[in-house]
Amino acid sequence: MSSGRIAQHRNYGELMERHERDIRLRRIVKTFIYFLIIVALLIMFVIVRRWEQKKVDGKPGTAQQSVSSEQLAVSSEQSGSKQSVAIRT
Amino acid sequence: MTEAEIQYEYSILERSRKNPKAFGELYEKYFDRIFNYVYRQTDDEDLTADLCSQTFLIVLKNLERYEFRGLPFSAWLYKIAGNEVNKHYRKEKKSKVFSIEELRVRELIEQASESYDEEVIQRLLNYLKDLPTDMLEVLELRFFEDKDFKEIAFILDISESGAKMRTYRALDRLRKNFNLKIKYDGKE
Repeated sequence: MSSGRIAQHRNYGELMERHERDIRLRRIVKTFIYFLIIVALLIMFVIVRRWEQKKVDGKPGTAQQSVSSEQLAVSSEQSGSKQSVAIRT
Repeated sequence: MTEAEIQYEYSILERSRKNPKAFGELYEKYFDRIFNYVYRQTDDEDLTADLCSQTFLIVLKNLERYEFRGLPFSAWLYKIAGNEVNKHYRKEKKSKVFSIEELRVRELIEQASESYDEEVIQRLLNYLKDLPTDMLEVLELRFFEDKDFKEIAFILDISESGAKMRTYRALDRLRKNFNLKIKYDGKE
């Protein structure tokens, strides 16, 4: 093929444009992937937090803990008096 | 290609890593050769232009990864171009085409034989059509692209002895059938 005809296809400016477009596209894809990774980590963190919260809330007796502690105090007092009585006898 | 020329091209590549515009010099130098090399394997001008542009784009993209192994930069360029051509044929599920210009065959015969006629050229062209692709590949690189065996081995991803063997076999066939005096090393 003649060099004149080949020269019609030779265009360094266009090649550079394509190259820069490629670099930009790669940068966008990279940024998007990093963004996706961060979002995925955040979602996982929120899920784990909620699951832990649910686990704590779902344990039986935890809601009545304050009441039962008061009851415990009363009963210990009562048992103490019983003990003193037993000593006396 | 002299050692100084190889080093000079490598220095351009080093510069191109920081500033891709510096690559323009090598693009201008090798575009025609790569275009012809691809055109011979496709026989389609538009497709050749696409593959050629893709080849240089891949080179620009992978400049960071280029390692100097004592071979000229052009060997890497030919290898990428060849890979792009093969990729195209695999994708299209077509068999590879080899179109060798009559002019180049004439040049080869002029070098190898003092007396030749049109009939020999036509016979040789027909004969080349029937040669296996791997033999045509080495002949093309050895005699039309003027590559040494080390470069041919790198471009075709074969061993140096394999490249020599293929060339020897192809030339042996030509010698037997056409009584040509083409030397194995291609110098005469």
